[in-house]
Amino acid sequence: MSKQAPGVRIDGLTVTYNNLPAVRQVSLELAAGTITGIVGESGSGKSTLALSLLNAVQPPGRIAGGSVEIDGLGDVVALRGEDLRKARGAKIGYVFQAAQNSLNPLKTVGKQLLDLGRSHGVDDLRGLVRDAKELLGRMGLDGNRVLDSHQHELSGGMRQRVGIMLALVLNAHLVVLDEPTTALDMITQANILKIIREVHEERGLTTMVITHDIGVVAEVADRLAVMYGGRLVEQGPTREVLASPQHPYTRGLIRAIPRLTGDIDEARALPGRPPTLATVPAEGCVFRERCPLRMEVCDTVDPETQSIGGRLVACHAVKVKEHA
Amino acid sequence: MITGENITKTFKQRGNVLDKREVRALRGVDFSIPRGGAASFIGESGCGKTTLGRILAGLESYDGGEITIDGVPMSGLKPKARQPYFRRIQMIHQDPYSALNPTRTIQQTLFAPLQLRAKQTGRDAKWIEERAAEVLSLVGLDPGTVLGRYPHQLSGGMRQRVVIARALTVDPEMLVADEATSMIDVSLRLGILALLKDLRERLNVSVLFITHDVATARYIGDDGDLYVIYRGQVVEQGKVDTVIADPVHPYTQALLSAIPVLHGLEVPGEEPVVPTSGLDESKEDTGCLFARRCPFATEACTAAPPPLQLTEGVPQRHACIHPRRRSVVAREV
Repeated sequence: MSKQAPGVRIDGLTVTYNNLPAVRQVSLELAAGTITGIVGESGSGKSTLALSLLNAVQPPGRIAGGSVEIDGLGDVVALRGEDLRKARGAKIGYVFQAAQNSLNPLKTVGKQLLDLGRSHGVDDLRGLVRDAKELLGRMGLDGNRVLDSHQHELSGGMRQRVGIMLALVLNAHLVVLDEPTTALDMITQANILKIIREVHEERGLTTMVITHDIGVVAEVADRLAVMYGGRLVEQGPTREVLASPQHPYTRGLIRAIPRLTGDIDEARALPGRPPTLATVPAEGCVFRERCPLRMEVCDTVDPETQSIGGRLVACHAVKVKEHA
Repeated sequence: MITGENITKTFKQRGNVLDKREVRALRGVDFSIPRGGAASFIGESGCGKTTLGRILAGLESYDGGEITIDGVPMSGLKPKARQPYFRRIQMIHQDPYSALNPTRTIQQTLFAPLQLRAKQTGRDAKWIEERAAEVLSLVGLDPGTVLGRYPHQLSGGMRQRVVIARALTVDPEMLVADEATSMIDVSLRLGILALLKDLRERLNVSVLFITHDVATARYIGDDGDLYVIYRGQVVEQGKVDTVIADPVHPYTQALLSAIPVLHGLEVPGEEPVVPTSGLDESKEDTGCLFARRCPFATEACTAAPPPLQLTEGVPQRHACIHPRRRSVVAREV
């Protein structure tokens, strides 16, 4: 590989929709060559965060503050026009949520591939098709057949793989996958996750996976970041976060996963419901309404992100415990 | 008690006269769900589990076999006479966002079926109001705050509860929940599962749970039966917990192996089973339908279809000529 996997540094990122913050003061580093999983429920701001990596937040949304530094590209928040268009696809690959719906139903996959190549000024279109076939073959598909197919002729798992191919074929080394396995059954999901991991290693990528399913992150990600109400509440190495979650939300989320083994009665749903853009509190901790450790300070003061043994946690209660 | 015997269903592709492709969605499925009991159908997309649920809810016809509801075989009845039976089986769909009319308040949504019932049984408007409040309370919603709202003002979890409440207005005998939790936020998913379990206990409704996520099947009751369905056939069947703990069919083992392992909390099973290829229904198979994807298949597998037989040592049945226990499920560390 000619290019190296880029590192990404998101610093103090705030994205608003009509002045309501969907992502608030998020700082996150994606180390070069790693897979980072972003976990959150609906309305947590995880997809907005992912779109910010391409500076592709749609109006009325806008990036209101902060920066997204990508090695070799600089701050993408400052990129405009042609520079931004060229960076998308060629430097940053994006696999959209429900890849099944992101393909053009009227064109074959091959035609869409050629469109992609032309819009990025690729001279050697034969070479592009060859690369695409190789990638599809790598993912266990028959390249010739897939390129000649319309999207309705492909199964969900196949379309997802086509999405991954289109994200990688221009040789992007930063890849964002938004809900890559939603709506797929377990066996297909396991297969796609394996492909993501293998392709990540073989091509030397920096990968970001957005999901609501902790299980998906547990299978693929080196690092795990948990979002709630537009804030990053906890991040750290996946195994460590799963083994000893610090933030009460992370703890609750892990306990709420239906499991194959263990006591059924120990698992329970979190009380209350996730906040929406309109109901997320403007000040204080965003999780306090559902939190078992709620204190007075949580109502007024936004907990700062602090480092606890290689883990970043934003919670007043965790701080108290540490100092006690 | 609802039983099905040798249910078959084939979908014929319309259009092309020369190329008459058929999809055999169900190839003879037997099941029985006692009053207040639970059964789960699990399998990949396209295995026929949803078709079976739709047949039971009266939304789809079946080609062969017999469905018996409370001892009455449906084949002997005219379509019109079947209606009151199938009405007792209500469907909960996967997507609570599209299952509710967005232009109607929850009150309007719940009142419609209740008004019909009131007319049939000669009850008054007060009964309708009381019953609507009652079904909402049963699903854990506060009638005062919810009745006047529109679906978009509720969260996904609350919407799914409204859908369940609407199903309860007709006093159903069974709820068919087709992937009813897959679009609900993870933190709220267990709440919906606990509700279904609770309804079984309090109202004696049975629950037919259709899912590809085996783990969720445990949470509607460990007394429930699990049916593992592959290409329209039951390949393994038994109590939920014993099938998960002691599967002998390679397909069940593949489904269980595919469930993500929470590394850090769990260690994977020692003998994971991975199918050798994807689901391909374009070819017809002789013998075992899973043989082409099975890593343990032998020549004998393709000779004749394996019958569903009793598993040694456990009250379970399997359709495999090489049954073997394998440790596939992740264990907690």
